[in-house]
Amino acid sequence: MSQPPHVSPGAGAATPFTPEALGELRHDLRTPVNHIIGYAEMLAEDAAGPELASRRAHLDEVLAAARNILSLINSTLGPNHTDVRAGDLSRLYESLRAPRQRIVAAVSAVLGAPDAQQDASLADDLGRILAAAGRLAGPADATQANGKTANGGQASGAPAGQDATGAATDNGAGPRQARILVVDDVEDNREVLRRRLTREGHAVETAGNGRQALELVQQRRFDLVLLDVLMPELDGYAVLETLKGNPATRDIPVVMISALDELPGIVRCIERGAEDYLHKPFDPVLLRARINACLEKKRLRDQEVEYLERVGQVIEAATAVEAGTYKHESLAPLARRADELGRLARVFDNMVVQMKAREGRLRDQVRDLRQEIGVARRDTREMSAMVDGGNLRSGERFSHRYEIIGVLGRGGMGTVYRARDLELDEEVAIKTLRPELLTDATLLGRFKDEIKLARRLSDQNIVRTHDFGEWSGVCYLTMEYVEGITVRELLDTRGKLGISSTLAIAGQLAHSLQVAHEHGVIHRDIKPQNLLLDDEGVLKVMDFGVARLAERSTSMTEAGLVIGTPAYMPPEQLLAEQVDARSDLYAAGVVLYECLTGKPPFEAASVTSLVAKMLTTEARPPVEVNAEIPPALSALIMRLLAKKPEARVQTAAELAEQLVGLG
Amino acid sequence: MARILLVEDNEMNRDMLSRRLERKGFEVKMAVDGRQGVEMARAGGYDLILMDMSLPEIDGWEATRQLREAPETKTVPIIALTAHAMAGDRDRALEVGCNDYDTKPIELTRLLGKIEALLGGKTGT
Repeated sequence: MSQPPHVSPGAGAATPFTPEALGELRHDLRTPVNHIIGYAEMLAEDAAGPELASRRAHLDEVLAAARNILSLINSTLGPNHTDVRAGDLSRLYESLRAPRQRIVAAVSAVLGAPDAQQDASLADDLGRILAAAGRLAGPADATQANGKTANGGQASGAPAGQDATGAATDNGAGPRQARILVVDDVEDNREVLRRRLTREGHAVETAGNGRQALELVQQRRFDLVLLDVLMPELDGYAVLETLKGNPATRDIPVVMISALDELPGIVRCIERGAEDYLHKPFDPVLLRARINACLEKKRLRDQEVEYLERVGQVIEAATAVEAGTYKHESLAPLARRADELGRLARVFDNMVVQMKAREGRLRDQVRDLRQEIGVARRDTREMSAMVDGGNLRSGERFSHRYEIIGVLGRGGMGTVYRARDLELDEEVAIKTLRPELLTDATLLGRFKDEIKLARRLSDQNIVRTHDFGEWSGVCYLTMEYVEGITVRELLDTRGKLGISSTLAIAGQLAHSLQVAHEHGVIHRDIKPQNLLLDDEGVLKVMDFGVARLAERSTSMTEAGLVIGTPAYMPPEQLLAEQVDARSDLYAAGVVLYECLTGKPPFEAASVTSLVAKMLTTEARPPVEVNAEIPPALSALIMRLLAKKPEARVQTAAELAEQLVGLG
Repeated sequence: MARILLVEDNEMNRDMLSRRLERKGFEVKMAVDGRQGVEMARAGGYDLILMDMSLPEIDGWEATRQLREAPETKTVPIIALTAHAMAGDRDRALEVGCNDYDTKPIELTRLLGKIEALLGGKTGT
């Protein structure tokens, strides 16, 4: 067979290939693809029936990859392409790598399945596919590029393709047939060994000199090489050194044989990586014992390598999950194993499937929410322009470092401005606090402590608190500025929200509360006005800790004056009793109730009658207001609205978990 | 059932093509070089010969020439298989006496079409 043109691309890299060379190249590449397709089609035909569905799927994968390779080859080397250069060729080989790996992976998956272990002809054909895939490797892949000549009609040994098969089915236990290469320049010696080893059940090939031995080792897989030390030209030492210097052949055990009985020679061989050393003439018993010991050692090592490879597959899958590229079933061959690794792979795969399903649901929920936000934003564009009022004018400098842009909103606590932080050149929100809130020194101290805690909260669902300061007698807080609308505005324009959108809000709200509560921060004032939504549907809870300022030593009912509305406050807060994390969960329940039904659970004409109603009557379950609401979601909200904290969902983490179960 | 002689030196090509043809119902015998191909063909009994043109010993061109000269194989249809479509290969194949011509790598359906055309009614199944 002629020298493949891709090994020596004509006169130079910049010169186009001749039409003859191109034709040959096309043929050299298309032939193995054709072999892959042919064998895979035959095997796919054989894999009828539901019990072989997985094998057929892998074979379909082989076929798809092979056809992909064919079209890649045609797009570079098609009959109409005349100006092809070495660079094009290396790019082609590079592009063939991925589909080639897909083929190898799919074939390995078929080979790895338990039903394939017993089927020798299947393994043979899969081996042929692997061998053909090997011939698609570029010249850079030196160990495989030689495979081409393996079909060239070498007189000795097994048919081409059997080599790769052997490697793949080589993991059987116990004493078994091995492929042994005997290298000796004396024909009689070769024959004696060949006959003896064949009688032991091994498949034996022979080489008469070192060069031939190295060629054979490149073409086929051997389990053991018996290597004569003294040979003309390339002697045993040189062959040994070459074998051990090549990563592809390094792991084949080599037993040196020599008539000479001299210690330095033995030492030299062992130092260069020989497994053992035998003297001629051989004692048959010793020969058998040593060869079996060598093979057993190799078998154990192969097993270990195989095990490590499979562990590697699991690790690879874990990396893929992290990178978001994990494909279900990519651990399938491993998952069919009965051992611990198999179980691990099954559990892992299941977990990922569930996780992905959950992610998919969350994505859908956020998508629905974004749609609602989009509609609401269109409707409120004019409305939500700057609010009038506030003591600070736009363009005014505030506390040296900020320039006021406008007013974002006004509430019970004070006014919120949009401003530019001139030092960091970014927009911030500044909340100025009404001076009468800051008269109680104890309360102010507690408030500052709370703000210190809140500043530590850093989460995508929480508006960051930057600083607390005082300037010209005005106390203020600076916060992250979020472009978006509040859930209040969303509800005012949409009336109520869909179940999916509500779940998107609920999940994020539960998450933000979980983070805050774990840091010891209780919000105290969860309500739709404090929940911001950006255009991506990301919920950000603002004013963590701020409500501490509004606390009174007397109850709301007694004071009669309430900052904002009490509609979201749990009974213990209305009664000025102990407030804890579960109080925030009650408020969250009210918000979700309102999202789903369009109304808070309790409504009344006056604050006093509202508070009375909240303390004494039960809310109507959401499902009774709107029959489309899933009963489980309705029940969960009712548990958040329990009057007694101990009857509620106890933690934000538990709420988040329950929501995952729902959605 | 039609009997086909496949003359092909490449083991994998031979194995694959013969098995795929057998699946289609043909009886396939194989020769590994031109000399063996001529001997087997002259022994008789084949309805069609698939002849690889680049063969050891005697190449496909010479083998075809010999088969066309021998009275017992003069009329057996021969399809030449050549490695790559070089201009002139087709004409050259027809000139030495091949009935048809196909290029490798073999596309089974295309080749089957040519086989059936040459065999007339006598097909694999």
